[in-house]
Amino acid sequence: MSPLLVIVLRTLAGLGLLLLNGVVLIYMLRKVLGHLHLRLGPTRVGPWGIFQTSMDVVKLLTKEDFRPTASDKWLFRIAPLLIFVPSFMAYLAIGFSPTWHFANLDTGVLFVFAVLSFVPIGIMMAGWASNSKWSLIGGMRAAGQQIAYEIPLLLSVLGVAMLAGSLDPKVIVESQAGLWLGFLPKWFIVPQFLGFWLFAISAQAETNQTPFDMSEAESELVTGFANEYSGMRFGFMFLAEFSNMFVAAAVGTTLFFGGWLLPGLEHNALALALGPIIFMVKVYLGIFCMMWVRGTLPRIRIDQMLSFAWKALIPLSLLWVVVFAVILKAVGA
Amino acid sequence: MIWGLGFFRAMGVTMRNMFRPAITVQYPDERLVIPERARWALVHKFDESGRPKCTACMICERECPDDIIHLTVSGDAASGKHIDEYRYELGACMMCGLCVAACPFDAIEMSHEYELATPDPHALVRILLHDVDAASGKRAKADAPATQAALAADAAPDAARGESDHA
Repeated sequence: MSPLLVIVLRTLAGLGLLLLNGVVLIYMLRKVLGHLHLRLGPTRVGPWGIFQTSMDVVKLLTKEDFRPTASDKWLFRIAPLLIFVPSFMAYLAIGFSPTWHFANLDTGVLFVFAVLSFVPIGIMMAGWASNSKWSLIGGMRAAGQQIAYEIPLLLSVLGVAMLAGSLDPKVIVESQAGLWLGFLPKWFIVPQFLGFWLFAISAQAETNQTPFDMSEAESELVTGFANEYSGMRFGFMFLAEFSNMFVAAAVGTTLFFGGWLLPGLEHNALALALGPIIFMVKVYLGIFCMMWVRGTLPRIRIDQMLSFAWKALIPLSLLWVVVFAVILKAVGA
Repeated sequence: MIWGLGFFRAMGVTMRNMFRPAITVQYPDERLVIPERARWALVHKFDESGRPKCTACMICERECPDDIIHLTVSGDAASGKHIDEYRYELGACMMCGLCVAACPFDAIEMSHEYELATPDPHALVRILLHDVDAASGKRAKADAPATQAALAADAAPDAARGESDHA
């Protein structure tokens, strides 16, 4: 195959994965939240309501694409793309197995975080361009919160990078092969337990999930930055949110839960074949936990949230980086 | 108390909920059993031969706080009353049940018919009785259990006053 065709096919595969993920995750969210709250979730369209989100996609595609007259014409149009494209680009660095990845990046983890840090710009742009006070407040909150929580998120990854000595997802996963003491999988969650919690909390905030969904905050800001959007422009924002969730869970799996590895199933043909499946199962378990938190905790206030980030999470993660570096040096020596 | 313990307890609560059956009642397919004393649309009671027990005494019409019961009656008590029309404006009814409580002949009741939505506003005015002879008040009066209970409560004012309201 020509290299160009490979690139095109890989892009299409990534887009397909993103869209499929979006449809599946929205259905999963509604079902999981429903059952966590003693409800049923969608039940009407198809058996167990499984076609509900496909029908929602059709609805979003056929809806009128409405733009308020007073909005900023070009920013309003660009903003959904600026939210959607980075979260699509983040798929590039995800490795599903030793051989399955969209691109082989030496600094894949760094790339994911770099690209995802574009998302708040898009959200702020959407909030500003909508010319609505709710959207503007939502956009401002997104900027404030995502910048605040990006710091502990990156610092929590540093510990893993020190352990693996690399930012390449493939190297990070491969260095988690084997067992400790004969029974404990050598996943980085064990030495990086605190780091994992810091990562989980910050990832919840980065992906705009309850209890940190301040920029949407349905009950106070209607839907925040997405307020004035309709049709597929809204669909893009919605899709980006769920794809960010997938990316966060995939990065978490790669960094802390051994990616495509299972104890006893390493470095053979079967492991190679099952790798993507194991990886996806782990990712979906991670997503389930995010939804579980989402279905349990109420939304906190923006000031509580920011002071938690600046006064607790960031000092704690800085301290953890220093302490872990010292421990690693001492144990290594 | 360890800080942060509440988070894990909350997560436990929601996870337990996950494995409990949903409380959702999927309405058109499933229905809740209505409480026995629920008050919905007003209906008449009929005796064994299918005649209404209503004597056209007009107490319900006078008692109704919303003024939505209208009787058109011909004839008089001596020769026997005839109900031309018993009109009931369902759309304005607040289901208070005062007409039922006031009826001395136990002739009307609040039914369990609760699916009252209709696309036709005229369906919200119901003619419950049309062109029928009213029952004789003298005969029905002695039989009515509500009246009997009320009389018993009057006779013994100290005992069972609380229950007489519900009799």
